[in-house]
Amino acid sequence: MTEFPKLTYDILTIGETFESDEHLVTPEDVETYAFAVEDHHAWFFGRSPFGGPVAHPTLMANQALHLRHGKYILHAGLHAKMEFTFLQPIEPGMRVRSRGRVIDKYERRGRQYMVTEYVTEDRAGTPLVRGQFTQMLIPEGTRHGDH
Amino acid sequence: MAITEAIAVGQELPALEKEPSQRRIDAYSGVRPRSIHTDEDWARQKGFRTTLAQGMMSTAYVSEMMTRFLGAGFVKGGTMSMTFVKPVYAGDRLTVRGVVKELRPESGGTRVVVEVWCQNQRGEKTAVGTASGLRG
Repeated sequence: MTEFPKLTYDILTIGETFESDEHLVTPEDVETYAFAVEDHHAWFFGRSPFGGPVAHPTLMANQALHLRHGKYILHAGLHAKMEFTFLQPIEPGMRVRSRGRVIDKYERRGRQYMVTEYVTEDRAGTPLVRGQFTQMLIPEGTRHGDH
Repeated sequence: MAITEAIAVGQELPALEKEPSQRRIDAYSGVRPRSIHTDEDWARQKGFRTTLAQGMMSTAYVSEMMTRFLGAGFVKGGTMSMTFVKPVYAGDRLTVRGVVKELRPESGGTRVVVEVWCQNQRGEKTAVGTASGLRG
């Protein structure tokens, strides 16, 4: 059984990489997302300028955001910044995977941050979304308000 | 439907109203124990007054506003950069706004750069940033 270490600022290494499992994008994923974010645009369920239905551009952002969960146990964290470039539409039926790399970590005003760049690709390796996110680590035994 | 008439710097995008209820947060984040998004006791232990919407939900709201404004030119070729400045709690009511700040010639059309933000029912900004897309 794989043991997952707890993610701490000290254990995190700049340059370390993450990779998600492959995920089949289903119409149910799109429907669930549409409910969650209150966005039922017609392109998500029928014809679009790209042919058939497409998914919300941000649909797979959680796959990328959860990359570190495949390697570490996370106590708690908050998102500080996010950047996206939407290169190609995500379509139901695609099998997609995200890969990420830690490009920075830093402490500012007593808070600890990690910066990860990532790409989400289809099975052929075509980049669909590139992005970067900065996440604040909340150390175990502390509260957000303690910082 | 994307707007087809001319776009001008300073133009306001049609605003969106959003209500990230706990049920919608659950659908977005997946219900898990020891999650500040779906476990109220845990969120309180972490110093928050109740559960929080994932910051990324606000990026989805901005994405909707931009897709409605620019259409396919946001879905393919769009960009977004957001900073989360205040927590969004379950039950908050958000207004999502944007103002065109730059029109930049780019191969294949014009890149429309929009200053975007979300604000809560008290008028406090919760997320700020820029988004852009192509207009042919």
